[in-house]
Amino acid sequence: MRKRRLPLVALVLAVALFAAACGGSDNDNDEGTSGTGEGQTGGTLRVETDGFGWSNAFDPTGEYWGVAWSYYRNLLTRTLVTYRNTVGAPGNEVVPDLATDLGQVSDDGKTYTFTLKDGIKFGPPVSREITSKDIEYAFRRIATKSLVAQYAAYYTGTIEGLEVGAMPDHISGIETPDDKTIVFHLTKDTPDFLFRLAMPAAGPIPEEVGKCFTKPGEYGRYLISSGPYMIEGSKDLDISSCDSMKPLEGFNPDDHLYVERNPDYDPATDSKEDRANYFDEMTIDLNTNPKDIWNKIQAGELDAYTGSGTPPPDILKRYSTDSDLKDNLKVSPEDRTWYLTMNLGVAPFDDIHVRKAANLVMDKDSLRRAWGGEIAGDIATHLEPPSMTGGTPTAEEYDPYPSDNFAGDVDAAKEEMKQSKYDTDHDGMCDAPECKGVLTINRNVPPWTDMEPIVQQSLAKIGIEVDIREQTPDAAYTTIQTPAKNIPLGMNPGWGKDYSDPDTFVGFLFDGRNIAATGNYNYSLVGLTADKAKEVNFSPASGVNLGDIPSVDSDIDKCLDTAGDARNECWIALDKHLSEDVVPWVPYLWANVVTIISDAVTSWDYDQASGTTAWSKLAVDPSLQK
Amino acid sequence: MSQVASETATGPVQPGPAGEEVITGKTPWQLFWGRFRQDKPAFVGLAFIVLLIILALLAPVISRDVIHHGPNELFRNMQDDFGLPKGPNSKFFFGADKASRDLLVRILYGARTSLIVALLATGFAVTVGVTLGIIAGYFGGVIDTVIARTIDIILALPLLLFAIGIVAACSTSKEGCLGGIIKPGLPVVIFVIGLFSWPYIARIVRGNTLSIREKEFIDASRSLGAGNARIMLREVLPNLVAPIIVYTTLIIPNNIVFEAALSFLGLGVPQTTPSWGRMLAEAAPIFDFAWWMMLFPGLFLFMTTLAFNLVGDGLRDALDPRTGR
Repeated sequence: MRKRRLPLVALVLAVALFAAACGGSDNDNDEGTSGTGEGQTGGTLRVETDGFGWSNAFDPTGEYWGVAWSYYRNLLTRTLVTYRNTVGAPGNEVVPDLATDLGQVSDDGKTYTFTLKDGIKFGPPVSREITSKDIEYAFRRIATKSLVAQYAAYYTGTIEGLEVGAMPDHISGIETPDDKTIVFHLTKDTPDFLFRLAMPAAGPIPEEVGKCFTKPGEYGRYLISSGPYMIEGSKDLDISSCDSMKPLEGFNPDDHLYVERNPDYDPATDSKEDRANYFDEMTIDLNTNPKDIWNKIQAGELDAYTGSGTPPPDILKRYSTDSDLKDNLKVSPEDRTWYLTMNLGVAPFDDIHVRKAANLVMDKDSLRRAWGGEIAGDIATHLEPPSMTGGTPTAEEYDPYPSDNFAGDVDAAKEEMKQSKYDTDHDGMCDAPECKGVLTINRNVPPWTDMEPIVQQSLAKIGIEVDIREQTPDAAYTTIQTPAKNIPLGMNPGWGKDYSDPDTFVGFLFDGRNIAATGNYNYSLVGLTADKAKEVNFSPASGVNLGDIPSVDSDIDKCLDTAGDARNECWIALDKHLSEDVVPWVPYLWANVVTIISDAVTSWDYDQASGTTAWSKLAVDPSLQK
Repeated sequence: MSQVASETATGPVQPGPAGEEVITGKTPWQLFWGRFRQDKPAFVGLAFIVLLIILALLAPVISRDVIHHGPNELFRNMQDDFGLPKGPNSKFFFGADKASRDLLVRILYGARTSLIVALLATGFAVTVGVTLGIIAGYFGGVIDTVIARTIDIILALPLLLFAIGIVAACSTSKEGCLGGIIKPGLPVVIFVIGLFSWPYIARIVRGNTLSIREKEFIDASRSLGAGNARIMLREVLPNLVAPIIVYTTLIIPNNIVFEAALSFLGLGVPQTTPSWGRMLAEAAPIFDFAWWMMLFPGLFLFMTTLAFNLVGDGLRDALDPRTGR
């Protein structure tokens, strides 16, 4: 996708004049009007979702749903630094937002000083200048146990004195010498600190409103805007006392989220290129029937979809083959890997030869077809999407388990299997009882269910018989996140970045110190020690030697201490080491985010950082709305 | 019911207009057959069931030697580059499913699943239901109260929610639940269905037993010194055969649909075991494109259910206890 950057004010004026003169415009025939940088001002963007995936009811302190992050970043919440709300590598770049620049960093990398821009106010009913204290308050909330800041780990142990407990009056590592200045003192050099400041929890919150909400998620229904839009009904919020506040009518976490322009937002303090703010209003309604949503978008009765779903394959096929519809199909790379996870502590996957053979034999091409074919993404050949490490290495550049058309190499897989202790007669077929009835967890929804015969038949070629159990997506995660359940193989997981540093990918997922009894993300148990196993109630079956489980903890620490190109190189080397010498996964897809829009959407972009539509870049032409 | 009325008019107990013919007594079986064979819908239903059983039994032979496609075989040429299945053609009469498997072969195998589940679950339900029903009706008192209230409780449970809970609880581990008695997959599905269908039989049997135990021949048998077990087995049970047969036949289609519903919800048999309910679930997201994925399994499920219901109705008419013997 290529972006055209035009002088926006002139364009908006021209479009407005044209629309006023003609009572509408027929510029939808212009090539490339959608998906590029210009759009007309005004109108209502009508959006529906088939499920609000709130993790903390839209309270920015704890909300961890990527799609919700796009609402904060594009519409409601500004942070000291933020992203450009666009596609590709530029979309993962950090730029100043509330702050005048990217901060003054001390030589030892442990002190960051930011100056706030003048003239940035909270939206109604607070409508006062945002100060450094409001940002400090957001961090005090992160440190408050009762508010359950779900990614507090990015700040604890990094910012001096920030520990999760009772709400602190002050955090020793955060100084606010005056209303315009905020200084962070870090415990160690943290090269990816700016990324952490760009997370929504670090956005300013007015204490006079926030102090009234002490339970997790509560503040979500009273969210005070610092961005170009605000939740509808904000003007009517009575903040004279905690008791007088009634939830904003524009937001009901089980039904709808409506936003309108924030009158206190001054575009001069922001970048028009990064937040274009075309429409006057955006309505998101819950519609539990996804088919109905896609049909309405096709019929033009709805403009866009929001959520974690993808249009069904027949719609994708029609939109990608029909030249009239092609412009309304939006395919963007997500920084996400879908994979099968193999448990290093459970037979037969405790044997690296079995894990390598599984990688060699897997028909990844068919797996991708179950997801919709090429449109679904690139076939994954190693753990991290190349976009996380500067676009390299791609599948062409690095594939430790190559095969023709990614369809699996049975001969190579058998050669590998011959070296396994579970192939007692060394014929390339796993013949030990451990390879029969291998318990495999899967989701009970497509496309995962469509993958089952492929996984089953691929692994059967090396003698592994899987016994697939389907669970709801949530339950499937809960099962594989509990080491005590001894699940050898999981077909359900995928991982997307929190921000574009591998610290939030391999650095987080394979850290043996992070293994937990529940909610464990290191499904493969890389780096599991005997002590840790005891702590998380994991008892290996007989014949499985915990001492054989490799650890990459020191490699991760090494990468965390480097910066710039060296950091990238370090993460790439770790990815290769994991792919070849640890082999925790069978990665198969670096996914795209695919969606469709209506003809009325005249400008569209993708928010690479949040992995979904860049709402602030969308424009609608009301004359084309049905 | 006209056929019943006309048939009784010519029955052996009443002298018909052709009084001079030799009147021979008909056995109950002859009576039943005489009525049943006049019921054309029931006969068609029976024929379909027989055909289905033959197809189910021969499914491996048909798929291997006639169609040459396995039930879990993937056919790349039956799928386009978007992962969409292709429709019926000269080699795949019913087209392919989303995973590019032969739908016809899977429907044949699906008949096996449906029939196995229906027969085993119904067998379980009938065994339990008849045993408990007779005991409750025969002994009465506290035993009756306990069993009858248990029946009421089970019938009052939200069946589908309960079924979902049991299936989910028994499917996360390799061993299953209740100490490995209920294995995940087919056994747990059969158990759940049986668990929720026995009360229907038990209630009917209990009601009939209540009236039979007051009959004179029971008193006669008791005065001859027969014990409770003997009376229940030799005197009461034979008089219950008609309602048991009828209700069994009517429960079978219920159970087939129940299995389909569980499989539709993703709680039924594993994916490698073809099931009509699961096929319908797989068709749901894309049926407006791949209509064959919905039509054919749906048609077979519908016809099977209808056939069992027709046979059940026919049996009830032919065996209706109210017409006496």
